[in-house]
Amino acid sequence: MMNIKRVISTIEKNYIAENLKKGERIDGRGLWDYRKIDISHDIIKSAEGSAEVKLGETDIITGIKYEVGEPFPDLPDEGVCTIMAELLPLASPLFERGPPDEQSIELARVVDRGIRHADCIQTKKLCIKENEAVYIIFVDMFVMNYAGNLIDAGGISALTALISSRIPEGVMKDGNLEWTGNYLNGKDLVKELPLIMTFGKIGDIIFLDPNLPEELVCEGRISISVTKDKIVSIQKSGVATFSIEEIQGLIKRSMELGREIRNKLDLWQYKVDK
Amino acid sequence: MPLIINDIYPEKLFREDGKRLDGREKNELRPIKMEVGVISNADGSAYLEWGNNKIYAAVYGPREVHPHHLAKPDRGILRVFYRMATFSVFERKRPAPGRREKEISMIITDCLEPVLFLELYPGTAFEVFIEVMDADGGTRCASTTVAALALADAGVPMRSLVSSVAVGKIDGQLVTDLSGIEDKAGDADLPCAITWFNEELSLLQFDGDMSIEELNESLLNARNALDQIHQLQLTALKSKYTSILEEVEGGED
Repeated sequence: MMNIKRVISTIEKNYIAENLKKGERIDGRGLWDYRKIDISHDIIKSAEGSAEVKLGETDIITGIKYEVGEPFPDLPDEGVCTIMAELLPLASPLFERGPPDEQSIELARVVDRGIRHADCIQTKKLCIKENEAVYIIFVDMFVMNYAGNLIDAGGISALTALISSRIPEGVMKDGNLEWTGNYLNGKDLVKELPLIMTFGKIGDIIFLDPNLPEELVCEGRISISVTKDKIVSIQKSGVATFSIEEIQGLIKRSMELGREIRNKLDLWQYKVDK
Repeated sequence: MPLIINDIYPEKLFREDGKRLDGREKNELRPIKMEVGVISNADGSAYLEWGNNKIYAAVYGPREVHPHHLAKPDRGILRVFYRMATFSVFERKRPAPGRREKEISMIITDCLEPVLFLELYPGTAFEVFIEVMDADGGTRCASTTVAALALADAGVPMRSLVSSVAVGKIDGQLVTDLSGIEDKAGDADLPCAITWFNEELSLLQFDGDMSIEELNESLLNARNALDQIHQLQLTALKSKYTSILEEVEGGED
């Protein structure tokens, strides 16, 4: 049982900060190490795609559902993808019931921006008939246990769920929607795989993947989404400020880390054929 | 909003060989898997797979009551929040809690309260959060069962466990533990729960069409199934500690 308090004691804060200055972390990791990442896919029968990602003790389940609707007038031949996050009160005493708060909206939006700007979802393949019918894909992330760094875990969870999805392929015949008998799978829906890396900052020390105590003492963090060869989104939050040199250093580092993690996770293995 | 494949109900709920569509006998439960202590942040938690149902429950408390006016000066309160994930059903559920979820939350609260000693915790609340991640019929019963486990895992003093199951009638025949299809296409559904300290029913609903004889027999069918579920709950609670023992003993080799 972990006892989380909103306010972390000065002693614990100093302990975490002092150790970080020596390059040591309370859980024994190096500054640029992730916690253990466990991925399971295709776990929810009712969903068109699903994944559970555990990053240390942080646990996020994502499910994919679809509907058929009208396209936006300015994008008549493109499907729509919406990303939502729920910080379930079951996941932490810090989470409250009720409509989405800032933290859950930030989580959904940062994951969404990474995906949106990375040529990830192939929205043109989600068009059934121009101006009339397109797929609306819902990517819903549910936080089951909160132990820091929801953004990176959420990003991997959303991507894996999309890769694992099978969506019935529809056609319009004489104004009626019909099923072809086939499915669109992860390869049809997704192209680039943006990975989000979140760095915490305490004093002058910057480190990857803050765990919960680190997140509670952090003055700020920065999340950087990268594809194989590009930066696609950045989000700085918290009261910390970053120098231009620090940002440049982090961009270089996130490109390197991105390559390494992309190979290690090998997310395409979670594709489901049918 | 339209979907490409529609949710079609079969005409018959029994196969040629007299078994149910998923291969079960009339009074056979679906495969059930239970585990406690699955959410490290919670004071107590449990996970349940019951057929295709996948449900998590977490308990927090006794803790301060928000909003404060709900607190009672002479006793604690129990609050249960039953929710379904948007992707747990065939057609995506809207994220905000609906009327059905609120009603089921209330039913489960009333069902669990008799086993707790709330008079020992004045001014506080026990909050039980139930998340149905995948649904396939009988979620209120499965939720009640898993919530009782989570309360026990939290070390909350209890008079006994609570177990729950739905029985009913499909194609004119009495059956135990209705699946999603059987629930929707069947004739009658009778979810119930038992508080073991007095062996009385603490949750009871009925919808459908049954004769009085059938209703009487259904209640006896339920009683048999509830015994099995109780045993599974007890095993799940104990296995948290036996698995630690195995680790310790394994380490000494």
